Amino acid sequence: MSNKGEALDRRDFFRKLGVHVTAAGAGVLLMQSGRESQAATAVKKYGMVIDTNRCIGCHGCTIACKSENNVPDGFFRSWVKIGEKGKYPNVSTHFLPRLCNNCEDAPCLNLCPTGATYRTQEDGVVHVNREVCVGCRICVVACPYGARFPNPITHTADKCDFCYHRITQGLQPACVDACTGRARIFGDLNDPDSEVSRYMQSHSTQRLRADLDTRPKVHYVHADENLMGPDYHRLLARRNS
Amino acid sequence: MNEASQYIYWVSHDIALGYMIAWYLWLISLAEGTHIVAHMSWLYYRTEDYRPLEKVGSFQPFIILALVPLFLVIDLGHPERFYTMFYHWHWTSPVAYGVYIITLCMITYALHAYYLFRPELLHRAGQPGGLQGLYRLLTFGATETGTLREIRDRQDGRERFWAGASLFFSFMGLIYLGILLSSFKGRVMWSSSVMVFIFFAFGACSGSAFLILLTHLKNALVHTGAKALAEQRRYLTEFGILLKYALVAQAGVFFIYFVLLQYTGIGGRLASQVFFSGPRAFQFWFFQVAIGLVLPFVLMLYRNMRENVLVSCLAAIATLIGTLFGCVNIFIGGQMLPMTHFNWEILEPEPGKMAFGIALMVVMFAVFLVTYKVLPYENIES
Repeated sequence: MSNKGEALDRRDFFRKLGVHVTAAGAGVLLMQSGRESQAATAVKKYGMVIDTNRCIGCHGCTIACKSENNVPDGFFRSWVKIGEKGKYPNVSTHFLPRLCNNCEDAPCLNLCPTGATYRTQEDGVVHVNREVCVGCRICVVACPYGARFPNPITHTADKCDFCYHRITQGLQPACVDACTGRARIFGDLNDPDSEVSRYMQSHSTQRLRADLDTRPKVHYVHADENLMGPDYHRLLARRNS
Repeated sequence: MNEASQYIYWVSHDIALGYMIAWYLWLISLAEGTHIVAHMSWLYYRTEDYRPLEKVGSFQPFIILALVPLFLVIDLGHPERFYTMFYHWHWTSPVAYGVYIITLCMITYALHAYYLFRPELLHRAGQPGGLQGLYRLLTFGATETGTLREIRDRQDGRERFWAGASLFFSFMGLIYLGILLSSFKGRVMWSSSVMVFIFFAFGACSGSAFLILLTHLKNALVHTGAKALAEQRRYLTEFGILLKYALVAQAGVFFIYFVLLQYTGIGGRLASQVFFSGPRAFQFWFFQVAIGLVLPFVLMLYRNMRENVLVSCLAAIATLIGTLFGCVNIFIGGQMLPMTHFNWEILEPEPGKMAFGIALMVVMFAVFLVTYKVLPYENIES
């Protein structure tokens, strides 16, 4: 083969390599945009609004969740964080019911190496496929809300899925049914006539760790700022003192 | 925030990923760093005398990478499903890429090492001796004519191709480790692009230290000619310089990291407190800084100290301890920051897994020693 021919071959090689790399890059970008739009264009978007003014901190939701989903001792799919503010006699008590936010851009889903964590396209709920989960606990570390835990019985990741077995039968999640003060309102956020959508339209709502852009589907009404995230100020102040 | 608030009820979350994964990250950075240092140095020296060091820098990392997945497997909730990570591939997860990168690293290291050893193995296969059958097996029964230098020249292209491929995957591996941690956007200590450079610094430090230590160990166990020994010691003395500057680079990267954390809000400041005065302070100041950075830097400062075998081995061991604690501090410390409450998260002790990890390290070391006795690390001139 002549030198010229060899040079052309090499050029061809790099041209083909360039085309393949560009195609692969474009494919990845398309898939990425597809992932974004998939979450946004689901027919239904199940979500919840929790009006903390109505919560009385009875832990009924925690108990209902545990019995409905057979959650092992020491672990929680749903729990209530409780704090007090102020000094006697001006003291107020605040409640923050917690559960998986079933985020639209869920870090746990993005980092799951096997795809065991997945989102149902028709309603946007995030699930764990226990048959595929290898129990690596990456998702547990990835969740910025501490909503996941390694289930010691199944040895897989576990989390709230809005009681999917109930909501697909037209029932409410167990925590919603058990809520004494009717603080939890569950429904389709894409349906403007649903109770949850109407409640959101008539109230100012907050989401946990909005700075992370995970787009949680659990919204809070009048949640106390102190309870909404980790209290780094207290930890730092303790260290400095 | 109102400091007068009192927490009545909350839920703690233990540290989910423990020492085994920190150990896993350290061993991967060590293996890849060793290979990068060994091969980049070959690009600089390009001499026959350097080949024994390149063999150490290619084959020992292969042994590490062949055994290191066990650290990950033992930590899984379902170890028997480990292999599913190869075909249940999730493209947004760095770990899904890492499984392939580490596997490709291992394969390319093996092929690179095979071509490095092949001329000597071919020679030994033709000589009488107890292990002749093994050498024949390792060369797939091939025979080649000509001197060893001619054989090396004939396979030079393939050898360099696999060296280049393994170097590429080594860099990819270190980048993977950095991206893996920085992809946890809720973890303020990890979610930083500096993570990639931290693992590069760990790789450069532990790689040059490991190469110094293992080559001295090889020279203690394998008969090496006086001329070759003197030449190899010259290289190792120069690796001492490399180690010295790698330690400076590591200190520089950590300095930048801590400066950046100060500008990352209260979470970043708390993350740096984990190292400075928090739950990882002793491990950081004593093991990572004093033993892992200052001590080896001082030991490698002057030429006569770098030339001393004992001193350079001590510096290498100190560096390895420092990088191990560096990995552990970042990995465990990053999970100690609470996500939902106001206390450090706690790591439950895992004595069974730790015992398994130590046993695996002993096995790894035993394999190193056996290969020194069995494989022809030194050049043979026919």
